[in-house]
Amino acid sequence: MRILNILRFGFSFIVLFMLVSIVGFAQDKVEKEERIREKEVPRIAQEWLYDAFEKVKRPKWYKEFSDSGYSFEAKFQYDDHFHSVEFDSLGNILDVEIEMDWSELKQEVRSSIGNYFGEKYKVHKLIKIQIQYSGEEEDLEDFFDEDENEGILIQYEIEFSGIDLTGDSRIWEGTFDSRGNFLSLRIIRVLEMANVIF
Amino acid sequence: MRAILILLGLCCFPIFSKGQSQTFFSGVFPEVSLTKKLSNENRINFKIENQEILFDNRMGDVESIQFTHYRTDLMAFHDWRLNSTKSMAIGVFYRFQDGADAKRIIQQYALIQRLRNLRLSHRFRTDQTFAKQEKIEVRFRYRLALEIPLNGMTLDPGEHYFVISNEPIFNLQNREFELENRFVFGLGKLYSKGQKLEWSIDYRTDGFIQNDLRTRLWLKIGYFQSF
Repeated sequence: MRILNILRFGFSFIVLFMLVSIVGFAQDKVEKEERIREKEVPRIAQEWLYDAFEKVKRPKWYKEFSDSGYSFEAKFQYDDHFHSVEFDSLGNILDVEIEMDWSELKQEVRSSIGNYFGEKYKVHKLIKIQIQYSGEEEDLEDFFDEDENEGILIQYEIEFSGIDLTGDSRIWEGTFDSRGNFLSLRIIRVLEMANVIF
Repeated sequence: MRAILILLGLCCFPIFSKGQSQTFFSGVFPEVSLTKKLSNENRINFKIENQEILFDNRMGDVESIQFTHYRTDLMAFHDWRLNSTKSMAIGVFYRFQDGADAKRIIQQYALIQRLRNLRLSHRFRTDQTFAKQEKIEVRFRYRLALEIPLNGMTLDPGEHYFVISNEPIFNLQNREFELENRFVFGLGKLYSKGQKLEWSIDYRTDGFIQNDLRTRLWLKIGYFQSF
C-alpha cells in the first residue's frame, strides 16, 4: 500500500510538472508546421480537394509557416499512395505530390535518373520518390478528375542517401523534370538527436 | 507502423514478465548533456547524471522517505559520423557512489530512422565496468527510442514531443548472467535547434535471473544542448 501511495504521489508531481511545462512554454512563435482542423482551412481548398479526390476520407490538414507567410497542406492515403496537396494562404491549389515506387516510374524517366545517380554518386539508396503535379486550378482538377494533362507541369522529387564523388555522405533531395533530367539538388539536414544517442 | 509497435512490444516484454518486486526505490534523476559538433561533423558529448533517492523500501518504515544521494555519473563520448543517420562512438565514464565508485569504457553504434511522422533511434552499446574488489562487468545494450512530434509531422522549434524508449541490458559478471530493462516515457520540448528539455519517467527493472527482482522508478529531468 505504501508503495502505491508513493507512486500516486510521484505521478501527481509528474503530471503537474508536465502541465507546467506545456502551459509555461506554449507561447513561442517560430517557423513551423502545425496540425489544424478542417474547419480552419479555406472553403475553396476543401472544395478543390473533395472535387479532385472524390473518395478521400479524413485528410489530415496542416498549416505551414515560412518567412513569406503560410500555406495549407492536406495529407492522405489515396489509391494506395500517400498524397500531399498544397494550397496557398487563400486556399488556391499550388501542387499535388504523390509518393510512388521506383518501379512505377516510366522506363525513360528511370533510365535518365539512374544515369544521373551512376555519374554523380559512388553509392546511393532511394528513400522517397514523389511525383509533383503543378498548374492552374482548373487544369489540375481536370487532370485528377478526367486524366487530362494539358497545362500540367510534372516534376520528380527524389530523396536519397548516398556518397558523392568527393566522398561526401549525406541525404539529398534531387528534383528532376518530367523526362528525368536533373534540375536541382538540396541537402536534407537530419535534426540533432543527441538526447537519444548518448 | 505495425512492425514498430510489435518491436516495441517485444522490447517491453521484460518489464511485465515478473510479478511483485522485492526491492523498490524511487527518486529524482536530473541529467545535463552537452554536445559539440566538430568541423568534420564528428561530435563530442559530455553528460552528467545525478540520482537522488526519495523513497527506498530497503530502509524500514521510518527511513523509507528520504533525500539521499545515490550516485552521480560523469561521461564523455567521441562520436564519429558515418553518414547522415549513422554514427559510432567511444566513451569514458566515472561513477561517484558511496562505497561503489566505478570506471567504465563504452563503445556504441547508433542509427536514426526518419519515418513519415516520427523518428526512431537504435543504439547498440557494449560497456565494461571496473570497480574496486569487483570482477569486471561486461554488458550489451540495445535501446530503441521513438521521438513523436505532437504538432505536425516534423519536430519544429517551439514544439513538444513524446519520447519513448526501451533498453534491455544483458550483463555478464563473474560468470553470472543478468538481465536489466529500462523503459522511459517522457514529454520533451525543442526550444531552438539543438536545445531540448525532457520530463520523463524512467522505470528500471533488474535482478531477473541471479538476484531478487529490483525496480527503480525515477522522475527524470533532462536538458540537452547541441552546438
